[in-house]
Amino acid sequence: MARRAVVALPGDKRVVRSSEFWGGLFWLAVGAFVVWAGRDLGLGKINDPGSGFALFWIGLLMLALSASVLVASFRSPGASLASLWSGTRWAKVLLVVSLLVAYGFAFEPIGLIPCTLALLLILMLFVDPINWWTAFIISVVAVFGVWATFTKALKIQLPAGILAPWLG
Amino acid sequence: MDIVSSLGLGFSVALQPTNLLACFIGVFIGTLVGVLPGIGPVSAMALLLPVTLSGSPEAGIIMMSGIYYGSMYGGSTTSILVNIPGEAASVVTCIDGHEMAKQGRAGPALGMAALGSFIAGTAAIIMLMLVAPSLSRFAVAFGPAEYFSLMVLGLMLLAFMTQGSIAKALLMACIGIVLGLIGIDQITAQSRLTFDKLELLDGIGLVPVVMGLFGVAEILSNLEKAIRREIVSSNVGSLMPTREDWQRSAGPLTRGTVLGFFLGVLPGGGAVIASFASYAIEKRLSKTPERFGKGAIEGVAGPEAANNAAAGGAFIPLMTLGIPPNVVMALLLGAFVVHGLQPGPLMMTQNPQVFWGIVASMYIGNVMLLVLNMPLIGLWIRVLRVRYAILFPLILMFCIVGVFASGNAVFDVLIMTLFGVLGYLFRKFGYEPAPLVLAFVLGPMLENNLRKALILSQGDLMTFVQRPISATCLALATLCLLAAVLPGLAAKREVIAQDQS
Repeated sequence: MARRAVVALPGDKRVVRSSEFWGGLFWLAVGAFVVWAGRDLGLGKINDPGSGFALFWIGLLMLALSASVLVASFRSPGASLASLWSGTRWAKVLLVVSLLVAYGFAFEPIGLIPCTLALLLILMLFVDPINWWTAFIISVVAVFGVWATFTKALKIQLPAGILAPWLG
Repeated sequence: MDIVSSLGLGFSVALQPTNLLACFIGVFIGTLVGVLPGIGPVSAMALLLPVTLSGSPEAGIIMMSGIYYGSMYGGSTTSILVNIPGEAASVVTCIDGHEMAKQGRAGPALGMAALGSFIAGTAAIIMLMLVAPSLSRFAVAFGPAEYFSLMVLGLMLLAFMTQGSIAKALLMACIGIVLGLIGIDQITAQSRLTFDKLELLDGIGLVPVVMGLFGVAEILSNLEKAIRREIVSSNVGSLMPTREDWQRSAGPLTRGTVLGFFLGVLPGGGAVIASFASYAIEKRLSKTPERFGKGAIEGVAGPEAANNAAAGGAFIPLMTLGIPPNVVMALLLGAFVVHGLQPGPLMMTQNPQVFWGIVASMYIGNVMLLVLNMPLIGLWIRVLRVRYAILFPLILMFCIVGVFASGNAVFDVLIMTLFGVLGYLFRKFGYEPAPLVLAFVLGPMLENNLRKALILSQGDLMTFVQRPISATCLALATLCLLAAVLPGLAAKREVIAQDQS
């Protein structure tokens, strides 16, 4: 791929919309935080490095590397942020992530069986829909199969949640 | 102990019924995840890490190793029949393997992939067996400075071999080290980057990070686009390659095995690079390079031999130095640590039954894979017909349960989700997660050795360049960096990266 001969300026719309630019900026901020955290933890002395010694120097390296990504984004801005998601089924991704977060919070109080059953059914019926009865059979077999394998065969504890009185 | 008696000890361990079963389960699951696009050996090994806790260390590690080399076998089936690589090391097999399948020669392509993998896998184990003991005697002389420099070299090599920008790859490695340092400092007992969260005091678990970055992120990326699969044929016919096929493949098999083994040993190398390098070499050496891409069996034999030999070679740095050369080996290191074992130069003397048991199990595993793959092709084809809409919720369920079981903490499920989103965004923005995971595992060791080296040398930084092994490693790491930055070499690296993508 031929490189662009013209270097874009920071105010150029191509740069502001560029995914490379925002990626570099994000890591620059993370690098600055790591440097600060390293200093905060204490650098110690060169013959007795402290807890923050490695973090501080890695943070500085991150600052340098993210600066180089930023500089490169002026030379070749690459794909725009919006184009990364154009024509994709991003709503499905968002739905799955939301479901996983909800699952993470409901998992312990409600229990593995009801939560996982609900998760599988929603994924199979709404994200990439299949027949409801196929979804139902697969979900039930999978969830109870996993429960039995982990708790009975492998003796690994899984949260029973609201079904604790019945599952023991 | 000489090699023959050591191997005898190994077989006495590997042939125990529990270990045989562990080996079988490992290679079976490995082949299955190799066949299935959307889940790779890394996710499967992370998933099964908690399961291995209930057995002996030998059984657990034999199973995990089986998953790795088993997936190398399985990946070729999907590449040949569906033109989608089951896992990354089988990408090149798609080119000629699928063409052969379209010409009605799926059987010989699958047969050559399985037999070539068997030959290369077995040869790699013999080389592992011969090289590891002498290297481990040499590695006893390593001090903190040598270990630090070797890890720097490993990370630099991985960053160099990673697709795209070296700055991004090194950034990922830095993030990995920072993440690895979260938790209580082993030397000062000070808590670092824990944000007053009790759950973070022990650090972030390897399993949720790996499952998130490789398992969940892969699902999110796949969901973005509708996956369409076209299986060429359900009737593959005879699997045995013809005499002419063997004649054409003898050279590629030999070269692929040797090349794959040595690339596997190098940190950052591994099966993916080995398969690409083998394909490129075979095409260049061929008297009829125009046949490549149109169903040349050499294009299947070479890369398949190379990726299996690399899988064997990758065990060397882990077993002899205790340093994982790639993400899969990083996970295997995690498995060793979980079982209270420290791979490294002393393992062969302190735990010979583990080392030789694993080596012997690999011989058995390779035979199992050959027996498993030839008659079970039909089963794998049926597995491939399962729709992704059914597969991905099940994979997600296994990720969640596996992650929870690994630490018995719901917090880990949330960490997995977070890393799933991060992994998805990394792919979008062109950042490779592999250097992050390797650095995450090496981070604490790297920092520990750096601090020890500085304390021992009373703060003299010259210790890293005055010690010959350390100096050599750092010089090679600098060469890698220069090679990636210098315009001429950077352009060549870019071409390789584009070929891979």
